[in-house]
Order: sequence, then C-alpha cells, then structure tokens
Amino acid sequence: MKIVPKKGFIVGMLALFALCAVAAQSATLVFGLSGNPDTLDPQKTAGTLTFQVDKSFYDTLVEPDQTGKIVPALAQSWSISPDGLVWTFNLRKDVNFQNGQVFTSKDVKATLDRIMDEKMASPKRSEYAAIKSIRTPDAYTVVLTLSQPYAPLLATLASGWSAILPSELIASGHNFAAEPVGTGPFKFDKWIRDSKITMVRNDKYWIKGTPKLAKVEFQIIPERAVQVQGLSLGSIDALEFVDPDDLPMLQANPKVTIKKELSSLIMVMAMNCAREPLNDLRVRQAVNYAIDKQTVLDIAYGGGRVGSTFLDTGNPYYSDFSSLYPYNPDKARQLLKDTGVGNREFTIAVPQNYPLHVKAAELMQQMLAKVGMNVKIQLMDWSTWLSSVYTGGNFDFTVIGHTGKLDPDGTLAGYGAGKYVHWYNATAAAKIKEAATVSDFGARKKLYTDALEIMAKDVPFVYIGTSYRYVGTRSNVFDFRMTPSLDSFDFRWTELR
Amino acid sequence: MALRRSRNVLFSLSALYLFLLVTVAIAAPLVAPYSPTDQFLDRRFHAPDARNPLGTDDFGRDILSRLMYGARPALTVGIVAVSIALALGGVVGLLAGMGTRLIDQALMLIMDSILSFPTILLAITVVSFMGYGLVQVMVALGIISSPVFARLVRAETLAIKSEGYIEASRALGTGPVKLVFRHVIPNIMSKVIVQSSLTFAQAVVVEASLSFLGVGIQPPAASWGLMLKDARNYLMQAPWMAIFPGVALALTVLSFNLVGDSLSERFNPRLNEAR
Repeated sequence: MKIVPKKGFIVGMLALFALCAVAAQSATLVFGLSGNPDTLDPQKTAGTLTFQVDKSFYDTLVEPDQTGKIVPALAQSWSISPDGLVWTFNLRKDVNFQNGQVFTSKDVKATLDRIMDEKMASPKRSEYAAIKSIRTPDAYTVVLTLSQPYAPLLATLASGWSAILPSELIASGHNFAAEPVGTGPFKFDKWIRDSKITMVRNDKYWIKGTPKLAKVEFQIIPERAVQVQGLSLGSIDALEFVDPDDLPMLQANPKVTIKKELSSLIMVMAMNCAREPLNDLRVRQAVNYAIDKQTVLDIAYGGGRVGSTFLDTGNPYYSDFSSLYPYNPDKARQLLKDTGVGNREFTIAVPQNYPLHVKAAELMQQMLAKVGMNVKIQLMDWSTWLSSVYTGGNFDFTVIGHTGKLDPDGTLAGYGAGKYVHWYNATAAAKIKEAATVSDFGARKKLYTDALEIMAKDVPFVYIGTSYRYVGTRSNVFDFRMTPSLDSFDFRWTELR
Repeated sequence: MALRRSRNVLFSLSALYLFLLVTVAIAAPLVAPYSPTDQFLDRRFHAPDARNPLGTDDFGRDILSRLMYGARPALTVGIVAVSIALALGGVVGLLAGMGTRLIDQALMLIMDSILSFPTILLAITVVSFMGYGLVQVMVALGIISSPVFARLVRAETLAIKSEGYIEASRALGTGPVKLVFRHVIPNIMSKVIVQSSLTFAQAVVVEASLSFLGVGIQPPAASWGLMLKDARNYLMQAPWMAIFPGVALALTVLSFNLVGDSLSERFNPRLNEAR
C-alpha cells in the first residue's frame, strides 16, 4: 500500500523530466523584464522598456554594434555630402515585413513622416527637426535633405524610436501600440499586460541563419529579489542587470553564468558651481583630490573604469585626463586651508531609490570628512530629487549616474551653458555646439576632446567613472548580447544548448 | 504564585535591560570601541571576532559601536515623542473631560480623526511635508500618539468628575483649575504612566521603521532601522548585520511592554485586592 504513492511520485517526476526535455528542444528563452512597457509603438514613447522589447520586432536603417560604433542594418551603405546637408541611404533588397510586405524606400519615408507628424506627439520628434525633405528616387534609395548640418541624426536613426514600420499598415491605421509588425528577427505573438510578452521566430529574417531561438518569452518581473530567485532556480534564462549585491549568491551557483561588461553609465558627484564656496575652482579641486575614485567604484558600484571627464570611459570620443586630479588627500587639505572653507556644512543630496548612489555618497562623505570637510547626507525620493535638485538647483553635492548616449551630443549638449551644475564656460559650450554640426569622426573628436579637457580641468563634477554591468544567464545560454549604448538586448545570435 | 513570581522576574529583567540600555546610550562615546561612522574598508563583512565582537557591516564599520550609538536616537525619539504626546493629549483630554459638551465633541472629533490613520502612514505623510530627519520624526510621532492620551485622560476625568469627593470639593467652592491639579491629575497619573511605557515602545518601532524606509535618521548616523535597511541586502552573506540590531530592537520593545504590564497590575487597585 505504501508503495503506490511512491510509484506515482516517480512516474510524475519522470513526466516532469520529459516535459523539461521537450521544453529545451523547442528552445524558448525566458527573459526577466523589469517592468511592463507603456506601449509597443516605438514612436509614441520615450520609455526604455518599449525599445528593449521592440528591438526584436523591428530593425533600423543603421544600428550600433556592441562597441557603440554605428554599422549598416536595413541600409547596406550610406553617404553624407561634404556640406553635411544631403544624406543618401542605399537599402537592402532582400527584406520582408512579418506581414509579407516587401521592404522598400516607401516604408522609410512613411515611417519618418509618421514620427515627424505633430499629431503623433512622439517625445523624440525634435531629434528629426533638421530633416527638411525626404525623397525616394527609386525603391531602394532614400535621400534626406537637412536644413542645417546635424551629425547626431545618424545616432537617432540607429535608435529604437527610428524603427521602420510597414507603409501599408501605417496607411490603414494599424494599432502598433498593441501589435507590432516589423522586419525584425521575431514576430509578435501575444502580450498579457503586467505578466508577459511572447514572440516567435521570423523564419524569413534577412540575416541568414538567425535567429536561432524558436521563441522568446519576456516575463515581466519588477521585483529584484524575484528576478534573482528566478535566475538561480531556472525559471528565467537571462536577466539584463544583476545588482552587485546579488553577485556572491549567483556566482556560487554553477548553473548561472555572470558576464561582466562595461556599461555606458557616467557616475558622478555633481557640484553646484553657483554656490559659495563651490564656485571657487580650488574648492572643487580639493574635493576631487579627496576622493579615491577606484574605491568608490569598487565598493559602491561593483567595479568599473575610473573616469576623468564627462563621458562614459568606453565611448570612442572619450579621452583620458586622469593625471589631472589623482587621489591626494594632503593636497586636498592644503587647498581647503588656503580657501578657508573651515567648518562650513555641505550636504550631499541623494535619490534614495538608487541604493548604489547612497552607498557611494556614504563612502565619499567619509573621504571628505577625512580631509576636514563637514558633509551631511540627505536622502530624498526621486520626484523630490528631480524638482529640487535637478531642476531647482537646490543642492551642494549630488550623486547620480548619467546614461551615456549613442551620440556624444546627447550627453554633452548644453554643458558650459549652465545645466543643473550651473557651470558656465563659453569656449566649452561653443565647441560642443560646433561638434554637433560636423560629421567627420576625426574633426568631431578634436572638438569634443577640447571641450572635455576644459570640463576635466574645471571639474564641475567628481568624475567617478563608468561601472561594470553584470548580465546573468543560465549556463546553457550562449551569445546573449547587450547593446550597452542603447540599453537593449539582442537575441538574434542567442542559443540554448 | 509561581506565575506571579515569574512575572516579577520578567519585570526585573526588563527593568535591568532598560537601565543598561539607557546607560549605554548616555555613555556611548566612552564605552563604544569605535566611532559609529568610521569605515574600515579592508574589513568589510567581517564576522564577529575579538576586534569586532559583533562583526562589521558593508563599510567595515563596527556593529557593536553602531548598536550602542543607535540606542541614542531610539531613546531620544521615545522620550520626546511621549512628552509631546502626553502634553498635547493630556491638555486636550482634560479640556474635553472638564469642558462643555460642545468643546468635548469638537476636540474628540479632531483626536479621533487623527486616530483613524494607520500610524506609519501618517508618520510618513508628516515627515514628507516637514523633511526627513530626527526632529521631524519626533514631532510627527508626538502628534500621532496624542489621541491615545487624550482619550485616556478624558475617560478618566469623566469618571473622576462624578465621584462624591469631587462634588463635595466643588460644593465647598473649589475652582476647576485647582480641582484638576489637586484631584484629577494625581488620580489619573498611574494609568498615564502605563500608557507612556506602551507608547514609548511603539515610538521606538516607528523610528526604526521610518529610518528603515529612508525617511527618518539620515546616513551615515547610526540607527537600528538604518542598520537593518543596510543588512537587508546581505542576509546570506553577513547575517550578523541583521541579527544584532533586530535583537536589540525586539528586546527593547518587549521590555517596555513587560514593564508597562507590570506597572498596570501594580497600580490597579482592583487587581491588588484580588490578590
């Protein structure tokens, strides 16, 4: 009698194993997504979640590779006239939309017209403002004429919001918000709000031999602890971001692989240059000398590459100025003595929804205390931080991470002319402005290097650096790629073995 | 008898613990082995040993020292919050109890409406308006805890008001102010003391909760709630970070409640008679 339930148990387990085996063969990748996208229409939002999911449904004319360099995609080549005003794209001829429609220049024009239409109210519309006209001389050529040279346009065309939609469905008023149709590697299957989004392989994808997965399932899991549990138990195959604090536990699990790569974040402690005594360069220098950046990066952010100016350290436009302000507490003490800062109280304002920044603030508070500065920490919620610190300018110090943009203009535009640090430098501002009109990489880099050098010397920030990003997958997941500069994931080459 | 003896032992132990706690809090700079904010980055997540008897936290700070300094905000918040609650609630309760029906109803309506909010929620609301910090937490808690005292004092005042000796005293021409100070207050003191110890325990918990949520005491200052907040992420890696502040908090609250219970028994004449 006792044996019967045991038998049943064994049979049940066998059945379960069989089920698992079948699941592995059909190659479904389960991905933990940190929230529910507000819409799937790439032209109606600025939300990262939307672009992260849409990356698998759509393609763009050009796209960034993993190093951030812009490479051909739906356009197999492009050229820019010497005056920077006429941009010509030659399109691929072997591309089909998932609904069967053939991809041509008509779709590019219809897509760009749609996002530039005021009625669409896309938050990204202003990025296309330089486009004066869109011509389609033949089915596989698109010519953009600009009203003024605007180099960042290439990065815009490589970003998620420039996803190419099929012209026939645009004309018929298809609901792209709920049901995406593109040329991408995966076809939309279904979206159960706040639960999951599923997609199946597009067998006619234009990169032959991809995608390798039959199905991708995005599980929407906002809670970090649940994501980590899912990865360690195997209900999730991949996570885009693992918190440094969770690393020891996951690294101890032989079934989980952690990949470390440089993120595109620029971690800084910003200083309010409009406030006494931080308006004195020597005080800002003292603060820079007092901070051991490598320690802050290692302990608060899980490691990374130390920065020296206002760009992500992996960016092709980045230049190193780290010899300017090395860690030197004695020099900091001397400068503080010279400037007579004394026992004056400073406050580091930190948004408390970012525990890593809070940790960095606690470390820096101690480092500053060691050189004799009287510094307090003030935690605040995100909306207070935005209104009081970022737009209100009501702070001494604040710790924050800037997301590096595909084009350096996205990061640097406006600096030298105020921004939230109230830092004014006419030369830097002019160079940054000019760089946006130059398309040649060498000439652009020269301008940015000049501006970045001024920012490195004049230190409106403590440039902590660029942290690593830890991507967690199950050990049987191969070639899961992140595009750091877009903050999105690429499943085209991913395999389950 | 055995039950009463074990209760007495509990009372003595609780009182002893609270006495030690107060002593440590006052003498923290003398008895703590380290400063509560000194970071030893080469000794992060160190398990308890001779150098750090209770281990270190994620910044290499000494947990024992932080625990000792953490007793200060806990007790300060308790004392100040109870004083504010007592002053505010006591005055309102006396006015309501001694005053006319209209005054009574108006005052108690305000108090009851405060009471209708959950404590932590109301505390967060108040702190969000006034800004994060120790002083704000104390004021918020004082206001929130006042209705309990108001109700208690009012009920006791009403009961005493109808006693024969009060009517006699009144008939002899004693004014209401003198009546309150000479007869009412001395008679309700015992109950107020018991309630104070219970409110104190609650204040300690709420201070820890608010600091845990990041809206109370600001880092890097030591507070048990902040220590638990830090510890939360390292439960597997460094369990001592959570265990010691958790135990300190639990013991403190338990002791205040036990002392409160014992006092209420001792002060209650009817229970004494039953013995």
